[in-house]
Amino acid sequence: MISPRSLRTLNAPLEEIQGEETASYARIAAVDGAHDLGGMHGFGRVPVEDNQTLFHEPWEGRAWAMAGVLSRSTTIDRFRHTIEQMPPADYLASRYYERWLWAIERLAAEQGVLESSARPGKVARPSPFAKPASARFQPGDRVRVANSVTPGHTRVPRYLRLHVGTVDRVAFAWPNPGESAAKGTYGDPELVYTVGFAGSDLFGGEADHIVTADLSESDLEQP
Amino acid sequence: MTEITPAERTRRLEQRLHEHGHVDTAAIDRAIAEAESATGNSASPALGARVVARAWVDPEFKSRLINDPVDSLSEYLPQAVPIAVLVDTPEVHHVVVCTLCSCYPSGLLGNPPAWYKSFEYRSRVVREPRAVLAEFGMEVGDDVKLRVHDSTAEQRYLVLPQRPTGAEDWSMERLAGLVTRNSMIGTGYPLYP
Repeated sequence: MISPRSLRTLNAPLEEIQGEETASYARIAAVDGAHDLGGMHGFGRVPVEDNQTLFHEPWEGRAWAMAGVLSRSTTIDRFRHTIEQMPPADYLASRYYERWLWAIERLAAEQGVLESSARPGKVARPSPFAKPASARFQPGDRVRVANSVTPGHTRVPRYLRLHVGTVDRVAFAWPNPGESAAKGTYGDPELVYTVGFAGSDLFGGEADHIVTADLSESDLEQP
Repeated sequence: MTEITPAERTRRLEQRLHEHGHVDTAAIDRAIAEAESATGNSASPALGARVVARAWVDPEFKSRLINDPVDSLSEYLPQAVPIAVLVDTPEVHHVVVCTLCSCYPSGLLGNPPAWYKSFEYRSRVVREPRAVLAEFGMEVGDDVKLRVHDSTAEQRYLVLPQRPTGAEDWSMERLAGLVTRNSMIGTGYPLYP
């Protein structure tokens, strides 16, 4: 049973996080989260500054380093999916490393490392360079993006759903991000294609640019 | 709900992980120090600049970099993920973004700048790239085709900007000084000599 969460969870202490249903946490629907920002209106000028400071406060570096440790026992997709489960109001009100912190607190609870000295197993990263033998699509093929409304994690941005584009190249192979997020381990790789879309199809007649995205074979259909 | 600050939350998390032997405070200190002291030999804009400058002066390297980027870059630093090199021409300009999170060629350029991770950049550059590039001070001609690359998978992108004119006899080392971080992401041009 998943208990309803309050609108704001940003600065809860660990004890309250452990009270959340951490085991079932990653199964909460999160595909249409606030993280999926591409094409959204309402944001202003880009805060262009050439400040190369990595960490603006000391805690940010420590959260970053702890994320590196905790990430060894799960997939990059589950880390991302955990961030994506932030309530939208929290997501949009927080700074970058606050979102990391929110996620690693929950990953730590999920991995049991807040309570136990038992080391969680390491999750091996697959090689992204090995490609499966047969490709369903070839460069130049027209493809439609599946209507990826899944109750889990996806790397298909909302703004591309159901749009038709052209395969630019067969890029590489990687396990399905939705499965890797749900399981916390990596499965068999599938091909990932770089697909180009006309900006005018996505955002209206004025747009004269091309947008490309890297999409898994299972997220593409013949139009 | 009780509210505590991010700094306090981080302190408590580290303390709990430390108590159970999962993190070592000194190792965290070292990891931060290493990340903050990145030089031209570790992943950093300076390393990317060396690669770009070499591609400008060495056609054989440029060809290898485009066709086999992972092996070419691994001469400098081992690459853990695929990387695609986007070649700017007078007709086409490339820009890189990650609308869903903050995917960035960290294995070459180090951690992304704050603006790359901002909601403003992530939401707008796929929709209105010319307006966004203007905010970076770039005037992209109407005759130049813009290609915006959303980093939605485990593949990273490096923009190979056009070599500025007026530095024809410059050495590779000197040319590297013209390559800005933003010019390798597509939100800037290299400096002019």
